[in-house]
Amino acid sequence: MSEKILDFFIDGHAVTAKDGQTVIQAALEHGFDVPHFCWHPQLSVPGNCRICMVEVEQDNGDPWFDIGCNMPVTAGMRVLLNSEKVKMLRKDTMQFITLNHPVDCGICSKSGECTLQDYHYEHNGAASLSRDQKNVATKFYPLSDRIMLDNERCIMCTRCVRFTHEVSKTRALGAVNRGDHALIRPAEDANFNDDVYSDNVIDICPVGALLSRENIDNSRVWYTEATASVCPGCARGCNIDVWHRRKAWAFKALDPALNNRIERITPREHPDVNGPWVCNKARDLARIFERPRAEQPMIAGRVVDRAEAIGEAAHLLAGAQQVVALVSSWGSNEELAAFQQTIVASLGARLTSWVKADHQPIPGEVVEDDILIKADKNPNRKGALALFPALPEQGFSAIPVGTDVVLVWGEGVPAAALPAGAQVIRLDSYAGDDNLSARVFLPITTQNERAGHYTNFEGTISAFAQGFAAAPLVTDAETLFGMLVSASVAVDGSRQKVSA
Amino acid sequence: MSTPDTTAPAFPVLSGRKYFMNFPVTDSSHSLEAYRARGGYQSLQKALTGMQPADVTREVAASGLLGHGGAAFPAGRKWGVIKLTDGEPHYVCMNADEGEPGTFKDRWLLEHVPHLCIEGLILASYAIMGRHAFIYIRGEFDLPYRRLRDAIEEAYAAGLLGENILGTGYSLDIVLYRGAGSYVCGEASAMLASLEGKKGWPRNRPPRLTVKGLYQRPTVVNNVETLANIPAIVGEGGETFRKVGLPKSPGTQMISISGHLVRPGVYEIEYGYSWEKFIYEDCGGIPGGRALKCVIPGGVSTKILDANELKGRTLDHNSALAAGSQIGSGGMIVIAEGTCMVRVAQVIQRFYHHESCGQCTPCREGMGWMERILNRIVRGEGRLEDIDRLYHISNANDGTTICSLGDSAGYACSAILDHYRDEFEHFITQGRSMYDGNLTVEDPFAAVGAPA
Repeated sequence: MSEKILDFFIDGHAVTAKDGQTVIQAALEHGFDVPHFCWHPQLSVPGNCRICMVEVEQDNGDPWFDIGCNMPVTAGMRVLLNSEKVKMLRKDTMQFITLNHPVDCGICSKSGECTLQDYHYEHNGAASLSRDQKNVATKFYPLSDRIMLDNERCIMCTRCVRFTHEVSKTRALGAVNRGDHALIRPAEDANFNDDVYSDNVIDICPVGALLSRENIDNSRVWYTEATASVCPGCARGCNIDVWHRRKAWAFKALDPALNNRIERITPREHPDVNGPWVCNKARDLARIFERPRAEQPMIAGRVVDRAEAIGEAAHLLAGAQQVVALVSSWGSNEELAAFQQTIVASLGARLTSWVKADHQPIPGEVVEDDILIKADKNPNRKGALALFPALPEQGFSAIPVGTDVVLVWGEGVPAAALPAGAQVIRLDSYAGDDNLSARVFLPITTQNERAGHYTNFEGTISAFAQGFAAAPLVTDAETLFGMLVSASVAVDGSRQKVSA
Repeated sequence: MSTPDTTAPAFPVLSGRKYFMNFPVTDSSHSLEAYRARGGYQSLQKALTGMQPADVTREVAASGLLGHGGAAFPAGRKWGVIKLTDGEPHYVCMNADEGEPGTFKDRWLLEHVPHLCIEGLILASYAIMGRHAFIYIRGEFDLPYRRLRDAIEEAYAAGLLGENILGTGYSLDIVLYRGAGSYVCGEASAMLASLEGKKGWPRNRPPRLTVKGLYQRPTVVNNVETLANIPAIVGEGGETFRKVGLPKSPGTQMISISGHLVRPGVYEIEYGYSWEKFIYEDCGGIPGGRALKCVIPGGVSTKILDANELKGRTLDHNSALAAGSQIGSGGMIVIAEGTCMVRVAQVIQRFYHHESCGQCTPCREGMGWMERILNRIVRGEGRLEDIDRLYHISNANDGTTICSLGDSAGYACSAILDHYRDEFEHFITQGRSMYDGNLTVEDPFAAVGAPA
């Protein structure tokens, strides 16, 4: 179907738009700046903030002013985004918007990434014309266990209300009261706590009205920076930004751990994967990544140095007749390829590799929905299955009796589930009792401490970058496999020498 | 503003026709029986048996009937937009959410001629081939609601509503819905939102309601009085109707008049009637022999006209437009000499602030801002720049809001400022009203006789 293309003009530049597009869509697509509070590309058009007012030149000389977000492009129309009248209207609108807004940027967590703040400098820049007292409204209203609402900062753009109606479909928010006393409130017949996408309203709020109760006042925005990453919470592989303290602003006098923690997680837009949203599980990734870490190589629960542990593991592998490797579905494509090129290549037919699920759904979490959340709670099962078969249906009991060595890469394999006679080489990032009972334990990095790629359930590959430095003895699995193989070569060599 | 011609006002010769207030009101004059005795539902019979839906619209267009809700949009043109063959359901919605301050004419119609309103609604639905029609009635209306509810029941019982009306094969059901007390729900799109069960927030156009209205279907929203005119138009034909009143303002106008007046109430006047004659003779003039100061001609949203501007003027759309105002909803408020216009503006603005729906920015913030400024002036803490600020806020609301509530408030306020800036300046500089303590008023009703 051929789409109709309309030619029109923005500020005198000839541009095109698809039939049915609005002025704001076409203008933003062509790189023009149209301010907007209430309009959001993924939500319906309420047209209530009135800041996107544009002028259309008419043949009869009478200018026509209307909001760009609700104005369909017509062929030949001449849109002015920056005429004097438009600038004046924007300035008036900014005066209205800041009339009852407290302008408390100095103590607001949104400060630094606030649309209202930006637009104030861009489109108003003047002090309030009002000399009268501002309206007083609720501060710190708990919208849910996760989100706090400051009604004085709220400018009633209703993005959050429309989000719960149109995206998360919980219809958990609404507006009560009228006029300048209108308030965003939870709906009477819904519970915002049940909205597993609720934290997105924090991101789409153009002011500092909606803030995370967990992260509020943790850090100023400009002291932190984001590392592009991928949420490992499920097979969707939503693209995210992991925010952490900037190196230049690292705390020197305070606990150095503060420099190495996840400040917050926000979605990074990816049209083919998650759009601009993520679920609340992604927001809480710190609860996964910041569990107590395993940072020391061990042999049978005894801390050893890395060379000794690797030597012992190589020795086990070299001497084994039958090895089963349980491959992590949290490993990156690079690590999986390295595993194939090193361990699989060197052990050959002695090795059976199966892909296991590192994580299962947590009781109480939404297992699957038709928005983003997938039932498979591992980020790279698809990538792993491209190289290795899945663990058979009967689970760990599929491991044959007589297996000498089981190589466990990643989480999700309790020691009790493995055959009693087998020696276990375990590679994991987190502390746990099973690490102690393994014959050899080698600590590996988490996703935040390495870069790589995941293949999501649809086959879309997303990259994640390294945001944090790993502890000294913690190695990424890719390097570790290489070290294991070179150590095994040495073991083999010495054994051949002995037998010779 | 045009200079009033005081020399020889040439008033048009009028027919004296009345469409609504043409029978003696009794305890039972609103019943189906009484309405039928007055010739009621004959237009319905005529239309359903002898006219195609498009013919009804054609007659209404020929009549030149203008909407009576306030905007005076030609009813025939509104109906004509509906495509009868688009295969979608069409709805007519009767706007009985009469909330404009000073307007209470629809209340009279709903109380005394509910069947006329229903007949008009059925005819309108027939004209656009609607299967369901809606009446959104103001929640505060009690007697009108009960009368209308009973009338609908009577009509169902008499086979005038429901399946197969009058055996003609046309079917229509009416849904009667009570509002919850919001002024802005009288705005058509907000009314439809409220009818759908949503918050009564107006909606942006495009799309127009005649394209996507109630439940996203083409919808015609008409005022009670507009629909009440339809039976007469269908009955006597559009051309005949057009001969009543003035060519540009055909028919009659229900005027609800209140304020400083001997005989306030609801009147039906023919367009072209002398404005002064109406106030001074029909309504008995101003009690206590005070002079007329100004008139709010059609609900507080219309611009005020002072006594000079009324001289020699006729009551019709063009004349009101020439004077710089509108007939609006026909809710006239008469203000006598000695009334403090700062306080009038304050009261009006308090209303707008209270009723602003809170959706779009200029109105949500502007209404409260204006009220706060006016409150401050009345408290005696005004500053001279406040007058410019009021103008500024009014202008910033002009044409920038979703519905016309913000615009209207701006018009109302700036018109009062235009006319009575000196009163505001006096109040600001002296800290008190120009009229406080400066007016001796005799017993205003001493000389008033019994109502005629």
